[in-house]
Amino acid sequence: MKIIVNDKELEVSGQETLIEELNKLGYDIPSLCYAKDARHQASCMVCMVKNVANGQMIPSCSTYPTEGMHIETDSEEVLALRQMSLELLLSDHRADCEAPCSLVCPAKLDPAQIMLYYDKGQKAEARSLITKVIGENEVPCSTCKAPCEKICRRGTVDEHVSIREIVTALAADTSLAQVPAHSKAVLDKNVFTSKLGRFTSVEKEWLKEEYHDASRCLHCACEGREKCKLRAYSTKAGIKSTRYGVSSALPVKEQIKVVGKLCYEPAKCVRCGLCVYNSEDGFTFQHRGFVMQVVIPEESKSHMQESLARLCPTGALYLEDE
Amino acid sequence: MAECKDCKFASPEEAVQAMVRRTDAIIDRIGTRRDQIIPLLQALQAEFNYLPSDALNRLYERTEIDRAQLISVSSFYSQFRMVPYGKHIIKVCIGTACHVKGANNVYDAFKRELKMGEDTITTADQQYSIEKVACLGCCALAPVVQIDNKIFGHVQPGRVNEVLAEFEEYVSQQQQAQAEEEHEQPQGEVRLGMENCCQASGTAEVREAVIKACKELGIQVRIKPISCVGACNQVPLIDVAMPDGAITRYPNIKPQEVKEILLHHFKPASRLRRLKNAVFNQIDTFHTDLTWENILWKPEAERTQSINTFLDGQHRISTEGYGHMNPLDIDEYIKLGGFQALQKALTGMKRDEVIQEVLASGLRGRGGGGFPTGRKWQLVAANDSDKKYVICNGDEGDPGAFMDRILLESYPLRVIEGLAIAAYAVGANEGIFYIRAEYPQAVIRIRKALAMCMEKGYLGDHVMGTDFCLNIRVFEGAGAFVCGEETALIGSIEGKRGFPHLRPPYPAQAGLFGKPTLINNVETLSQISYVISRGAEEYRKVGTEHSRGTKVFALAGKVNHGGLIEVPMGTTLRQIVEKIGGGVEGGEKLKAVQTGGPSGGCIPAELCDAQVDFDALNQMGAIMGSGGLVVLSESNCMVDVARYFLNFTCDESCGKCTFCRVGIRRMLDILNKLCTGKATMKDVDLLEELANSIKKSALCGLGKTAPNPVLSTLRYFRQEYEEHVQGICRTGSCKDMVKLQVTEDCVGCTKCARCCPSEAIPFAPYQKHEINVETCTLCGLCMDECDYNAIVKVPVKENK
Repeated sequence: MKIIVNDKELEVSGQETLIEELNKLGYDIPSLCYAKDARHQASCMVCMVKNVANGQMIPSCSTYPTEGMHIETDSEEVLALRQMSLELLLSDHRADCEAPCSLVCPAKLDPAQIMLYYDKGQKAEARSLITKVIGENEVPCSTCKAPCEKICRRGTVDEHVSIREIVTALAADTSLAQVPAHSKAVLDKNVFTSKLGRFTSVEKEWLKEEYHDASRCLHCACEGREKCKLRAYSTKAGIKSTRYGVSSALPVKEQIKVVGKLCYEPAKCVRCGLCVYNSEDGFTFQHRGFVMQVVIPEESKSHMQESLARLCPTGALYLEDE
Repeated sequence: MAECKDCKFASPEEAVQAMVRRTDAIIDRIGTRRDQIIPLLQALQAEFNYLPSDALNRLYERTEIDRAQLISVSSFYSQFRMVPYGKHIIKVCIGTACHVKGANNVYDAFKRELKMGEDTITTADQQYSIEKVACLGCCALAPVVQIDNKIFGHVQPGRVNEVLAEFEEYVSQQQQAQAEEEHEQPQGEVRLGMENCCQASGTAEVREAVIKACKELGIQVRIKPISCVGACNQVPLIDVAMPDGAITRYPNIKPQEVKEILLHHFKPASRLRRLKNAVFNQIDTFHTDLTWENILWKPEAERTQSINTFLDGQHRISTEGYGHMNPLDIDEYIKLGGFQALQKALTGMKRDEVIQEVLASGLRGRGGGGFPTGRKWQLVAANDSDKKYVICNGDEGDPGAFMDRILLESYPLRVIEGLAIAAYAVGANEGIFYIRAEYPQAVIRIRKALAMCMEKGYLGDHVMGTDFCLNIRVFEGAGAFVCGEETALIGSIEGKRGFPHLRPPYPAQAGLFGKPTLINNVETLSQISYVISRGAEEYRKVGTEHSRGTKVFALAGKVNHGGLIEVPMGTTLRQIVEKIGGGVEGGEKLKAVQTGGPSGGCIPAELCDAQVDFDALNQMGAIMGSGGLVVLSESNCMVDVARYFLNFTCDESCGKCTFCRVGIRRMLDILNKLCTGKATMKDVDLLEELANSIKKSALCGLGKTAPNPVLSTLRYFRQEYEEHVQGICRTGSCKDMVKLQVTEDCVGCTKCARCCPSEAIPFAPYQKHEINVETCTLCGLCMDECDYNAIVKVPVKENK
């Protein structure tokens, strides 16, 4: 079967959806709600292409080609609409890609990751992250104006995390062994970075109760940011920030342990439904419209598979410590 | 813990056991399949008033339904609730017509009167719960409130206490014994419209008055409930029919007038009674001022004039038999030519000939899109399958529309006949009526009508003695506007969330349970029997070139005579508003007509001379939609109207695709900013960009048309948006931008202070009154009460 893609005539099998045919032909069509070999339903609209014959925008993940079909994948109109769908999703995405503290450290340390190790009791790993950057020299924290502490989100709840104090103490503890440790922070200014925004007073009360690790850190950085398609596409589309005020019904910073290493953070969910359509009596939609959420009934958690994390296009479903 | 109002249990365990038993009875009656979840939940809620967790646990144990499905479905449809409500439920209609007449003030007034807190919807004593509902379909009587099954029309915020008192009286009356029915030769017939609208305006009281008067006078008359006359603005309305066929019509009557009317037409049983009544009547005449305006004293022309102009210019196809046909009298329907079309199709026409006839008639789907009906039938007929379905889409969710409700309630047999013909034509032998939950009366009537048709052989095996078999069932919607969309409707019958699916595949190829399915709107089906019995040629004589036939509209809003009307396609909006509707209410100037509900647009007064058909409306940026016409006057704010509709679609969005779920919410955010004077011109540009993008990219038809109210008002009333950016709302509809002020004309009569429900006006006899802006809720009651027009709305901004 022949179809026309951006004025180029191409041969396709007609047995697969447009996105699959196009991917095989080397076109790079973004999509969040589609995953190969998984059950899915068109919803994110990031994969849309234009059907030139009738001017309609169609989700390529769920449309089959027809003989002579003429589509556009990269016109200005198509790219603008794809960008808008990403922007809309980002406006209802209450999450930080990177922790603010790590973004501002003048010494290029990654306080967020250091705090993560610290709170897990992995002090050697925490220290190794410091020495990797500064060697065995003295940390410059005591003379620093500490933008990390000024920007610390915990500071908007009650008091900021004593980042300098913890880092200095770790650096001074030479008894800790040097071990391999991994810093995930991407400090490239060209990479899109989602911002969480402000907490409501109710959320502040809840956060005070909920987050009481040794450092009191809120662990703002997203654990799924390396695999996050939403972030990658936003970077590619050149989005700096969403043009809409962020208002959301999502429960910020809520973290649900599902089973094994599988964790779920509703505030990062884009409601693509992949986990819903690919789990039996498991993840499910609740409510409708803007306040619709994906939830998991308590009784269903035990029979979920860790492999679901692979399907999630954002950091909403992820495996802890990976 | 389980509770039961009828009995007390010794222990909580016993209560749970009792609940399990009642749940089991429901499961045994309905079934255990996944696709039966909605009827199961509806039955549970009818039994327990909400969905108790013990009953749901039993559902998990005994049926295929699991937790994920239950959460998914029960939280999607607005009908289901997980917390018990009060004994009586107050439903405040916030449909378009009610909105433009101040429904939100009515809601606030009830909450104030019942002393409910901001976040509570149930009174402390568990007597009343309150909720806003999309549309009760009584738009001509806006604002409308329904308490349990009783409907109240024209509810004023300052009079909600009277409504509650009336309701409580009604409840106590209901508990008393009903009047006996006598079975003697009737002297004549009294016909009463018993639809929702009529009931809302007191037809039930009139009916009781008729029964009472007949008893007192010893008169034998038949009281006959009739189909909607359509003159919803003139109700209660009764027709007195004499054995010789003479009919006298009395619109707008009061229960007190009934006796007088009956005496005028019928002879009381005995001389003694006659005498007694004459005396009582004299006394009544002297002692009540109601009889001064005696209805019988008015000349015929004056009595019915406004009705006659209302009914002139209309053309009856779907509503043929209006005002004299009993909706559930199958013999009468047959006498008037009913089922002739079905017989003609079954015995004289091949399937394809039926389709060709419908195709030739030019009939287009009345549900909104205007797709040629015959073409749709062809597509379904062309698919070979062992099983096919025909569904009548009665999920009329548009606020401001009530055509389908009236057609289902008043002409159930005609709709059934249309569905039977459609089923024959496409080769289906199972039919489903999908009727929204808010129309209980329609469900009852259709069920009764279906039973009659079965009995008479118009349905079932071997319809009218032929090989054609057809079984029809009713499926009650559970409260989701999106289910008006074909694919969402199918999902709902299959026991899923009402998520629309991408088409193709179309329902004609793979619809309900994957089988070819024909879905037609109620009104479309109600036109079929005419097309078949009179022929396509005859049908084509009515309407315009590309839109044949008639269209039923629900006329409401700021119009003198609202109601259900049926006019030929091509009638202009101005004819409808001026001639049939009797002009704009209160002598105000026409500003715009909103057509097509949340998917439609606002057509400005200067374009109202255009002929109404599918294409003309599309060109003007509106749509025919299902046929709601809401008249807007100079005192309506167009930005507020746009916000109203976006608020509706935002609530009703299914949430599946990004553009509808998030995009519409972002549009609403901007409109909220506009209506509170916080927006900039940049916001207006962003609003327009969003609207155009959603129109192109949303997944289903409802999402794609949701921005229409904004796009059409931006197109015709852009200036009002710009004024809102500057902080001015000329009409005073946007509450954050206006305040009430007492002018120098105040004489200190204290009337405003006494009527203010929020005590924002201190009592100050003989002095100029002041309004406390902080506590004032802008309900406007004081403005209505003031005899000196001394209270005005002024913009907040100028006074800053």
